[in-house]
Amino acid sequence: MTQNVIERFKPLFEPKTVAVVGASTKGGTLPNVFIRRIREFGYSGAIYPIHPSAESIDGLKAYRSLGDTPEPVDYAYIAIAAAQVPPLLAEARGRVRFAQVISSGFGEVDEGRELQQALAAAARAGGMRLIGPNCLGIYTPRGRVTFTETAPEESGPVGIISQSGGLGTDIIRRGLTRGLKFSGLITVGNCADISANDLLEFYLADAQTRVVGLYIETAGDGRRLFEILRSARAAKPVVILKGGRTRQGRAAAVSHTGSLAGDDRAWVALSKQTGCVMADTLDGFIDALLAFQALAPQPRRPTRRVVLFGNGGGASVLATDQFARLGLDVESFDKQTVDELAGLKLPPGTSITNPVDAPVGTLQQEDGRVAEKILAAIYGSGRPDALVMHLNLSAFAGRAKTEVLDNLVQAALRVQARYPGQAHFVLVLRSDGEPALEERKRAFRARAAALGIPVYDEIANAGAALAALAFHERFVHSRV
Amino acid sequence: MALVDPISEARAAKRTALDELAGKRLLANFGISVPKSVIVQDADAAAAACGNLKPPLVLKVVSPDILHKSDAGGVKVGLENAADVGEAVRAMMGRPAIENARIDGFLLEEMAPAGVELVVGGLRDPQFGPLVMVGLGGVFVEMLADVAFRICPITRLDAEEMLDELKGAALLRGARGRTAVSREAIVDALLKVGGERGLLMTHAEDIAEADINPLIVSEQGAVAVDARFVLTR
Repeated sequence: MTQNVIERFKPLFEPKTVAVVGASTKGGTLPNVFIRRIREFGYSGAIYPIHPSAESIDGLKAYRSLGDTPEPVDYAYIAIAAAQVPPLLAEARGRVRFAQVISSGFGEVDEGRELQQALAAAARAGGMRLIGPNCLGIYTPRGRVTFTETAPEESGPVGIISQSGGLGTDIIRRGLTRGLKFSGLITVGNCADISANDLLEFYLADAQTRVVGLYIETAGDGRRLFEILRSARAAKPVVILKGGRTRQGRAAAVSHTGSLAGDDRAWVALSKQTGCVMADTLDGFIDALLAFQALAPQPRRPTRRVVLFGNGGGASVLATDQFARLGLDVESFDKQTVDELAGLKLPPGTSITNPVDAPVGTLQQEDGRVAEKILAAIYGSGRPDALVMHLNLSAFAGRAKTEVLDNLVQAALRVQARYPGQAHFVLVLRSDGEPALEERKRAFRARAAALGIPVYDEIANAGAALAALAFHERFVHSRV
Repeated sequence: MALVDPISEARAAKRTALDELAGKRLLANFGISVPKSVIVQDADAAAAACGNLKPPLVLKVVSPDILHKSDAGGVKVGLENAADVGEAVRAMMGRPAIENARIDGFLLEEMAPAGVELVVGGLRDPQFGPLVMVGLGGVFVEMLADVAFRICPITRLDAEEMLDELKGAALLRGARGRTAVSREAIVDALLKVGGERGLLMTHAEDIAEADINPLIVSEQGAVAVDARFVLTR
């Protein structure tokens, strides 16, 4: 079964031949752009433009129909007028594995319902599996195919299924900035044939994928989703961003994708019974995926005790409250840890209990290397499940050398290495929107992300991501 | 209780819902405790049936035309003897809302021991199929909205977590000097309704909505005191 699903989807994730329908000899159409993008992304297999009359398109020999290409087509990208798609598919003569129909005007609008049925029937008649319609494309770094202008070169552990094409683009672009690395992203649109459930099964079996993210507006077969997730027993974390969970959201979802959305209570139940994490916002979705990408879940000791360490007294007090609401404890240290921290004779104004408020004056001691002593004391006797290091860059501006920030992070990594598997380490880089500072933050975030550290914009985001991780850990702890 | 499937009977009779008696027979088929009862047609038969039941007793009208029995004056509780019962049937038959309705009979049953009133419900979700619900409050369930839902089938652990999720979970543990009620009995009832071979999974195609309200839970166990099943169209 596992081997089956991998084999079945391999031509989609690693196509050896790609057909493109809708490209023009004059260029400028979406399919022309797609041809350029996959070439730039390093796609090295055959590309077959399909065109009723042209000899060549973008320097590639064109063919009359999907059934006329020299080799069978692993993946066909189709963006032509909706009514023309069913006859095109019907001519494929069993020579196309996967056809993705980008075109809209199908089941998402009332007048397109019949056409969508004709489309699905034509795909069956042509002997192929259909993705879409009404979607944007696929991004598969292992296969060097992408529908987006900017795509991370490197593949990674995060597998995405998105019912919205635009949101899929957002996930890739924001993910790139945040250091997310993908095993693939498939926009599935109206799911006339292949559903989010089918691709979920693939990602759960796929060795490259360690965490799965789904953006869905309609569950389609919710019962099958439940059964897939239940039998997976949370072996891989699954994060679901569900559109249309409220009554108002549902009204919008109906006009958007074309069928009724489920009721919120069923989604809450799904999460509790299968351990999947429900995200409420795109940021929360990406924040949680980032945590699962970077941090190895510790189901034997689910995350509860969190140490906050950084500059910003008020911010850490507010964060302590928010963490408590999320079921995370920012507990005071016991006497031993307090005594050890007191022994470091840190400058006045430094708190030596949790949350550890250390002003810039403290953090820049020994150019930041002071953090190693502080964290060694905390890890040694405080035994945190997670450490959140938060740095307010505004307070560093004009006061500390650039390398102080790097030294702080390096100090934390050295202590992490001494206590393997003890605490999840996350970094929060706070800023105030001032352009020079934002630029500095961006560069620093990229360096930290390259080290595999999950970086968040605010302590609250880090808290929500840790709560998602803790939820998964508790589920596995109680069920598996 | 006969093991004839009350749902098939209702379908054959073109009914869209199960009446209380049929609902309780369905529950009993799945091993859920229901009060000992008899169905009688008139005051004399009711008085005669008293000997086999342990008072106090409750009398309820059974009619496809009456949705809310209490509102129609179709429920009388605390009946201690044959004279009480005979009188209650005569009085009920004279009520305007009952006089003009089709009457299938009168249900005379033992009253459940006092306890905490819960609701156990079921619902067919268009995408996820049968869901099971537990809530606190009996008749006040909608006002309190203290409920937990799960997708069927549930496991024992799911059932336990549903109870822990209720804001008023402390009531079940015997808050403020009251004795704790049988948690085991509630979990058991939830599994019989929403478990792998439970009522909702077995009849997933037929049951649109289900209400066991109240399920009265005491130290000794859980008894389904009233039940309603709405069938799918």
